[in-house]
Amino acid sequence: MLRAVLTLTGTAAGLAALLTFKSHPATIAAAAPPAAPTATSGATSSPAPTSASKSHPAAGKSATPSKSQAAVGNSQAAAARTVTGAVANTQYGPMQIQLTLTGQKITNVTVLQRTNDGSESDEIDSNAIPKLTSETLAAQSAQINAVSGASYTSMGYIQSLQSALDKAK
Amino acid sequence: MRPDLSVVILSLIGLGAAAVVALWWKDTPVIHTTGDLLTGAGQVLGLLSGYGFVVLVALMARLPPLEHGIGTDRLARWHAMGGRYVITLVTGHVLFIIWGYAVTGHEQLTRQTVSLLVNYPDVMMATVAWFLLLGIAAFSARAARRRLSYETWYYAHLYTYLAIALAFSHQFADGASFESSLTARVVWSALYATVGALIGWYRFITPLRMAARHRFTVQAVRPEAPGTVSVLICGRDFDKLHAQPGQFFRWRFLTRELWWQSHPYSMSAMPRPDLMRITVKARGEHSGSLAHLKPGTKVIAEGPYGAFTPTLTRRRVLLIAGGVGITPIRAMFAALPKRLVGGITLVYRASDPRDVLFSRELDAIAADRNAALYYVIGSREELGYDPLAPGVLQRMVPGLHRHEAYICGPPGMTQAAVTSLRTAGVPGRRIHRESFDF
Repeated sequence: MLRAVLTLTGTAAGLAALLTFKSHPATIAAAAPPAAPTATSGATSSPAPTSASKSHPAAGKSATPSKSQAAVGNSQAAAARTVTGAVANTQYGPMQIQLTLTGQKITNVTVLQRTNDGSESDEIDSNAIPKLTSETLAAQSAQINAVSGASYTSMGYIQSLQSALDKAK
Repeated sequence: MRPDLSVVILSLIGLGAAAVVALWWKDTPVIHTTGDLLTGAGQVLGLLSGYGFVVLVALMARLPPLEHGIGTDRLARWHAMGGRYVITLVTGHVLFIIWGYAVTGHEQLTRQTVSLLVNYPDVMMATVAWFLLLGIAAFSARAARRRLSYETWYYAHLYTYLAIALAFSHQFADGASFESSLTARVVWSALYATVGALIGWYRFITPLRMAARHRFTVQAVRPEAPGTVSVLICGRDFDKLHAQPGQFFRWRFLTRELWWQSHPYSMSAMPRPDLMRITVKARGEHSGSLAHLKPGTKVIAEGPYGAFTPTLTRRRVLLIAGGVGITPIRAMFAALPKRLVGGITLVYRASDPRDVLFSRELDAIAADRNAALYYVIGSREELGYDPLAPGVLQRMVPGLHRHEAYICGPPGMTQAAVTSLRTAGVPGRRIHRESFDF
C-alpha cells in the first residue's frame, strides 16, 4: 500500500515538473507580449529582437514565404491592416490565413484557403479552426498547440500564420 | 537472491519510459493556457500507458531469459503491481484529456466527452478498451479473486488482448506525438509487433512444438497424502529438456474440463529420459481434478521454468520446505551434486503429520548423502515455539551464516524464514526462494 502511494505521488510530482518546464518559453522574447496599451503608436514594438525570436513555429518547421501576396501594410500607424500569409500546402489541401492587425496586435484571423479533401476535412476544420484562431488571439504569436486529430490543418495554419507574422513587422 | 538481471530489466523499462516522455517533449509546443496544461498531462499519461501495457504483456510472454533470470513468481508480482499502476495512468489519461479539451474549447465536460467520442477517430473503440481494462482490474483485485473462480479471472484476463488491440489505432489517429512523426509511429508499431511475435512464439508455438517432440502422456496417478497426488508423465527425450532441480513446468492436461487451463507444478524428482514426476496438492479446481486423470491422457507441457535452482557452491546447503513446498526441495535434495556440496540440511515444516510427503524417500536420500533431516511438524501454538526463529535455526544448523539457503513454501512462511536467516547473518545473495502465490 505504501509502495503504491509512493509510486503515484512520485508520478504526479514528475508529471507536474514536466508540465512546469514545458510552460516556460524557450527564449524570453519568444512569447510576444500582448499589444501595448496604446494602440496609437506603432513604435512601441522593437522590430529586430522580436522578429529573430519568432522563428519557432509550433510545427517545428520554419515557414519560408515564397509568395508574397498583395496588401501588405508596412505603415506602423494605428490603422488596421491585413497581412496575408503564404499558402502552406498540406496532404489534404492548402491552408492560407490572413491576419488583421492593429499596430502589432492581432485582432482577427481569416482563413482564405483551407483543406479541401472532402467532408471529413470540412468536419475536422470546422472543429479545429475556431480553436486555432482563439489560441492565436490569446497567444498573439504562432506559438500555439496543434489540435489533436487535426494535425495537417494545424500545421498548415501555423505555417501560414508564421509567414504572415514575419511579414507583419 | 539472484542479482543483476532484474536490475537490468527494470532499468531498461525505465529508459523506455524516459524515451516516451522525451517523444512527448520534443513534439509539444510551449504550454500557455490551462487547457494546454491539462491536455499535456493527458498526452503524457496516454503515452506512458501505451508503453506500460506493452511492457506488462512482455513480462508475461514466457521469455526464457526472464523466466530463468528473474523467476516466474517475481515476474507475476511485477505484472500485478505494474498492472494496477498502468490502469491508474490510463484512467488519468482519459480524465485529463476530456478536461483539457473542454477547457481549450470552452465546452462543458459532458458535451466535450460526447464530442470526443463522436468526432475523433477511434476514440469510441479506445473507450471500450478502457472499460474492459477497468473490468479486468476489478476481477483481478484480491477481494474479487477470493470470491470468483479461477475460470472467471482467466477469461476476464484474456480480454486484455482485445483491449490493447482496440486502443491501438486511436494512439496514431489522435495522438499528437504520432501524427507528426513517422519515426515515432514506426518505432511504436515495431515495439507492439515484436512483443506480439514473442507472445505468439513462446506462448503458443513453443508448447505445441514441445508436445510434438516429447509426447507427454499421463502414465499413472499415485496418492501421496490426503489431498495430494503424484502424477507420473512418460514420453521421450526428457533429458533434452535440460531441466534443473527446483524447476517447474506449466501443464495443460488435454481432457474436456482441463484443456483450456495451464498450471505450473514443480518436478518432485529429476526426470529420467522417459519419465517425469510432479506432485500436486489439491488447492483449487484444477489441482483437485488431477487425482482423476486417466492414464493415456495427452499433455502439453511448457518449460522448464523457474529461477529457483541450485547455484554452484562449495558452501553447506540449507533447504527449508513448508507444506507442499517440499516438492521442488525434494528434487533438489536428491539432485544436488555430491562432490561440490559440503553438507546438506533439510528442514521440513508441516502443520500436520498427514501432510508430510515423501518421508521414506527423504529418509533414504538423507541416509545416502549423510545429510541432516529435520521434520518440524505442528503449528507454532502446538510446538510452543517458533521453529523458524533465528535462534532455533542457529541451534539446528551449526554455522548457519555460512550456508547457502533455499526456501520454498507458502508466502508467509517463506518470508518469515528469509527474515530469520538474515537476522542470523546469512547475506541476501545466499538466500534463494520461491513462493507459490501466482
